[in-house]
Amino acid sequence: MNLREFSFGNPTRERGNSDFHPTIAIEDCNTLLTSNNADERLENDMSKTALDLSLLSRRNFLGNMYTGLAGVGLMHLLHNRAQADQSDWQPGRGMSHFPPKAKRVLQIFCPGAASHMDLWEYKPALEKYHGKPLPGEENFVSFQGKNGNLMKSPWAFAPAGECGKHMSTLMPHMSRHADDIAFLHAMHSKTNTHGPGCVFMNTGHPTEGFPSAGAWLSYALGSENDNLPTYVAIPDIRGEPPNGKANWANGFLPARHQAMMMSDQQPIRNLSRPPVISQAEETASRKLLDQLNRNFAEANPANTDLQARIAAYTLAARMQLSAPEVSNLSSESRATHEFYGTHDENDLKAAYARNCLLARRLLERGVRCVNLYCASRASGVDGLLNWDAHKTLKPDYERHCPIFDQPTAALLSDLKQSGLLDDTLVLWTTEFGRMPTHQSGTAGRDHNPDGFTCWMMGAGVKGGVSYGATDEFGRRAEVHPTTVWDFYATVLHLLGFDHEQLTWYHNGLDRRLTDVHGHVVEEILA
Amino acid sequence: MLIRFSIVEVFLIGALSAAPTVTAAEQPVDFQKQIAPIFEQHCVRCHSPGNNKGELSLATFDNLQENEYVIAGKADESYLLEVVTANDGDPPAMPKEGDPLSDDDVELLRRWISEGADWPSDVIVRERSRADSSWWSLQPLADVEPPVSESIPAAWNINPIDWFVYAKLAEQGLQPNPPADRRSLIRRATYDLLGLPPSPEEVDAFVSDPDPQAYEQLIERLLDSPHYGERWGRHWLDVVRFGESNGFEKNTVINTLWPFRDYVIQSINDDKPFDRFIREHLAGDVFGGDDPNVAVGTAFLVAGPYDDVGNQDAEQIAQIRANTLDEMINSTGQAFLGMTLGCARCHDHKFDPITQRDYYAMYATFAGVRHGNTPLATPQARSERTALLKPLNKRKAELEKAQDDLKEKILKRAHDRLDHYEAIWPRPPVDRTGTEETFEPVVAKFVRLVCEAQDINPQATVFRVDEFEIWSAESKPRNVALATNGGRATGEARKIEDFPGAYGPQHAIDGKTGARFISTTPYLTIELAEPTPINRVLFSSARGEQTPEHSKFVFVADYRIEVSDDGTSWREVAHGRDRRPVGNKPDRPRSKAEPPTHRDHRLLHLETTDEERRQQAQLSRELNTVKREITRVPELPDVWIGTRNRDDAQGPFHVFLGGSPQKKGELVVPASLSPLNNVAPKYQLPGDVDESARRNKLANWITDPNNPLTPRVLANRVWHYHFGTGIVDTPNDFGYMGGRPTHPELLDFLARQLQQNGWRLKAMHRLIMTSQTYRQSSKFRDGAAAVDGDSRLLWRYPPRRLSAEEIRDTILSIAGKLDQTMGGPGFRLYHFMQDNVCTYVPLDKHGPETYRRAVYHQNARASVVDLMTEFDQPDCAFSTPHRAQTTSPLQALTMLNHSFTLDMARDLAERLQREAGKNRRRQIARAYELCYSRKPTADEISACRQLIREHNLVALCRVLLNTSELIYVQ
Repeated sequence: MNLREFSFGNPTRERGNSDFHPTIAIEDCNTLLTSNNADERLENDMSKTALDLSLLSRRNFLGNMYTGLAGVGLMHLLHNRAQADQSDWQPGRGMSHFPPKAKRVLQIFCPGAASHMDLWEYKPALEKYHGKPLPGEENFVSFQGKNGNLMKSPWAFAPAGECGKHMSTLMPHMSRHADDIAFLHAMHSKTNTHGPGCVFMNTGHPTEGFPSAGAWLSYALGSENDNLPTYVAIPDIRGEPPNGKANWANGFLPARHQAMMMSDQQPIRNLSRPPVISQAEETASRKLLDQLNRNFAEANPANTDLQARIAAYTLAARMQLSAPEVSNLSSESRATHEFYGTHDENDLKAAYARNCLLARRLLERGVRCVNLYCASRASGVDGLLNWDAHKTLKPDYERHCPIFDQPTAALLSDLKQSGLLDDTLVLWTTEFGRMPTHQSGTAGRDHNPDGFTCWMMGAGVKGGVSYGATDEFGRRAEVHPTTVWDFYATVLHLLGFDHEQLTWYHNGLDRRLTDVHGHVVEEILA
Repeated sequence: MLIRFSIVEVFLIGALSAAPTVTAAEQPVDFQKQIAPIFEQHCVRCHSPGNNKGELSLATFDNLQENEYVIAGKADESYLLEVVTANDGDPPAMPKEGDPLSDDDVELLRRWISEGADWPSDVIVRERSRADSSWWSLQPLADVEPPVSESIPAAWNINPIDWFVYAKLAEQGLQPNPPADRRSLIRRATYDLLGLPPSPEEVDAFVSDPDPQAYEQLIERLLDSPHYGERWGRHWLDVVRFGESNGFEKNTVINTLWPFRDYVIQSINDDKPFDRFIREHLAGDVFGGDDPNVAVGTAFLVAGPYDDVGNQDAEQIAQIRANTLDEMINSTGQAFLGMTLGCARCHDHKFDPITQRDYYAMYATFAGVRHGNTPLATPQARSERTALLKPLNKRKAELEKAQDDLKEKILKRAHDRLDHYEAIWPRPPVDRTGTEETFEPVVAKFVRLVCEAQDINPQATVFRVDEFEIWSAESKPRNVALATNGGRATGEARKIEDFPGAYGPQHAIDGKTGARFISTTPYLTIELAEPTPINRVLFSSARGEQTPEHSKFVFVADYRIEVSDDGTSWREVAHGRDRRPVGNKPDRPRSKAEPPTHRDHRLLHLETTDEERRQQAQLSRELNTVKREITRVPELPDVWIGTRNRDDAQGPFHVFLGGSPQKKGELVVPASLSPLNNVAPKYQLPGDVDESARRNKLANWITDPNNPLTPRVLANRVWHYHFGTGIVDTPNDFGYMGGRPTHPELLDFLARQLQQNGWRLKAMHRLIMTSQTYRQSSKFRDGAAAVDGDSRLLWRYPPRRLSAEEIRDTILSIAGKLDQTMGGPGFRLYHFMQDNVCTYVPLDKHGPETYRRAVYHQNARASVVDLMTEFDQPDCAFSTPHRAQTTSPLQALTMLNHSFTLDMARDLAERLQREAGKNRRRQIARAYELCYSRKPTADEISACRQLIREHNLVALCRVLLNTSELIYVQ
């Protein structure tokens, strides 16, 4: 391994989080270092002093504040680390390891385990063998209990687009995007439980406490827009997904990398000046505050935190102006509203459509990562409020799909027409799939962690392709099984990152979004 | 026997194998010395039982032989040689990662196979970890002599800490700062020990105290304050990942864990010896007799997140259980030993000399522990309760038996007259897919369905309806119930707070099936657009469903239909009591806990005589009285210390290959961790020893005087909290991936001091805080920073930002609103909602009930709380060895706009007026003393006065609460 010197101005070091070091990005925990002697490698680095306060521009600050004097450190002596090859890459400055295809990400999440064989992956064998036992797994027990015989999808599949991909007729609008989508039909998960499953799909780990993909992105790239958050989560009107806020949390990354929650129904918290305070009072108060904070910062010039704090108040003020503007959907044309379905008589559909429109407005203003949830409520009566169709698949999905279909398809069309899709990566995800059988005594399907579909579209993604497949019934990933880690290795690749080199030290390991796994799915790259 | 290669051995072997082999040609190849190192270096990383790439392991000979990768004596036919040999300019197929084998190595392999491929069965090839047992942190505590520095200033020549620190500074040509002024010092020390600002009076008293021992007295006063335990208890709660909800999908709030928080605070205030404190965490229920104040320590074991969603899939159940134990093992390793044990779950630790066997020895140790409540009480309290309950329970059983006997007598009589009853039930039973009633036309404005008995449990009267139709008595009948025809449905429904209509009565008249009204009372009422003649209703809970029998579609069994003109006086127009009972299958034995069948439910109702009714009423009255008395006997307090389960602890226990419970490897027993075998007394327990003995043994081993990790890790934590960074800057990780100590000798000195002082932290605080190292100023010097920018060598005291808790406590404190009540159930800054899973919504308004210290906040996992989350309060999914310290615009938004700031600004303004009168100058001066422990400058006074003049004092207070100076300690 080519060991390079540390850059002492490396801003990845954060005061107060000394668990983090400018670090070799460990390829995985199998990687061997070539030397056990850190001092030997690093003895020449002592003389370097590279704190450049001018680096602390406003933009750097938002993306990647130094909090403390990162400059010269002796701590490098104290770690057996070497710098990764991408030594001139620095997090939070819009830099990537290599030129990216995508600059931002829209991730649409349908929690509850949206059924692959009823939405995306056509399984004619289910029609043929409907009512017959699943060969080799008769009466097997899964998450909720016993399974019955094979059950065909209640909806026909029809070829869509020039690629002729068979898609469910339940989603006529989505089928017009068939030629732009790369389906990953052989996804599989480690868990059959929604909460861990959602967290796994979002963080690469089935337990809580790890950063979500959006938080990693915020850490890696920083902000593209100083006036808006870097990472926004838009929960569905029906409620938070399983495991709630852990799905868009910063985990062990600094708090600023967590998603800011907002939706058309729910503005950003604490955004508005309290009504009891007049504009004049606000202006005068902020002026005094700025003055006092500046004086304190000048008296303590080494503490760059203090300058960051002054900048934070300026940015907060900008956000107060920008966020209401971005949420103001009334500036959109009537045609746009109709296209998305924002005034649909189905309140749930209208609410989701408005969130779709909000997502586009956030993306076009430079928000790096938007997580958009559809039918997200964690629980309640199965399948009524999310995609968890245990007992009544048909009525459940006939309720959810019309809500999802038109607004999502409109959002995708809109991104495409506006050119935004050229450098925006769209992901559609769910936490796992459903069984090809019906659940014993019901007309629904149980959880299936062994096979499910996710898809990608947009920047750098080949359209009209399907990678991998489950077996003929949809029971298990069979052709090119694909993990969540492969999924994110690919996502990071499209964003210009080597997933093995994007790391953060935490409690004994250089942690990654892809854990110690993951291969880029080259086959779906354009 | 297992063979592990120590570093030394392998270096020797490496030299051997790399040496020219010419001279060794006559000697047969020695597998252990010559071949095993090749496999170890190039192969087993991927091809081991835990990894098994290509379904191949080179740990033992088995796989090579089975797959005919090696055919003894036939090197040319052995596939192994083919894959490691370059072919026609192509690099060899293996190893996939890393350098190819040298020609010499390939030649050795060829010779080994030719000579018969002898692989002694007791040699297992394992990947070697980066560090071995010679790693610095695994060595015994050194008996260190503090270094002597010639040039040391007199003041630095008193406290041994200063000798160590000064020597390191001198090595780098650095000088420490002069002492901090008294204002800075009291502020620093008070925040450090109490997490609160000093009062202006305390500052003045200290600044003007002529006593040369004033500082030492200050430290004593602070150590005696009960707030000390709150501050340092909070640190420890971070370390032990204390969180009061179970996390994962349900994330249910835990209301019985706060006694552990109180125990931590109390123990720290009492300066309980920390080795005992640690032992109580692991086995307090074992050695503490029945003392609840000791057993409560074991809440540590179950204070972490765990998955409690039911699962029927056996493999998943095993996996979830393994995850739960993994959480306990990891937390134990990190909190007490600074070891990342979790890395040895799927394979031997790649970096530290921790084997999978070590990990699964811990697994066996904790296997008997599950999450949950256990009543904690003294033996006396237990026996008192039992004595009180015994007669009551006896009486209760008697009464219940009398009730059952009576019921049985009546039922028996009824069954003898079954023909009679069945004759009055001529109509078919209710049908979930559609039940119809027709009646004489009647003009109605209101129609309601009243449930008299439910079809699953006839004693219940709640039900579900997907559609309820009311048909007009017209030539062209219309469904006048439909919302689109002006119908309006009402009825109490199951509610989801943040999505209210989810199960509401509107589903019954929307013309669509699939979604259901879920009642919580017996009624569904429909108001028609106008009084209408009607003569038919049709209702269902499973219309069009393929499996209407499923309990999801629970329906009415007995019911009546009533009409009304005004919605208050009702008239029955139809009922279902003449329908045959539902589910009237031949009697099967039913347990007493089960509700009666619908038929028996009816029979009981019809057959009971007036006299029997009187008897039943009498029995009910008496039973209710007894039940009331039972509830009056005080419950033993449930505490979240987990449950202990003999069955779970039943071995045998195995290594899980690759971490999978489905792949069992070698047997393991509860045992000490092998990396410390050379220094601490190792142990192995029989696999069937009681689970309590396993934890007790581990607790003793962790706190054994010869275990160097525990005191090192603890001393380092104390240092970390005093200086912002530890001597080792990764307090949870003293392994290869962690930091190295800046002052290794000092660390060992402190660890020894800790042991010698009976593991009491207060002595450590005194030692550290009276050092000049601690007392020096935080003044920044360019020259020193050029050498040591982070001040890891402590040429200045490193300033720090307050933690989230300190910020909130400070604001409350200076506003004069801090409620100093200690202990008891926590307060909440979120609204808690539960609909199977739980949701935590941050509060817009923080009332006075939240004005306690933040350590008493009931921290739920995966929740976001204003102010606390933005200022880096951790989620407590993991042990948090130190707080992040970040700055973001969100902090500014919250601090400027949340009503808490406004309330506190108002309270502070009132306080200033109260304490400083109407004079603005004095108000400002008071504010500065309260907020910053100093007096304002003339410029500051004039700037502040201007804001008060133009607006008001509250505006100034809001500004001050937002200033940086408030939240940074110098």
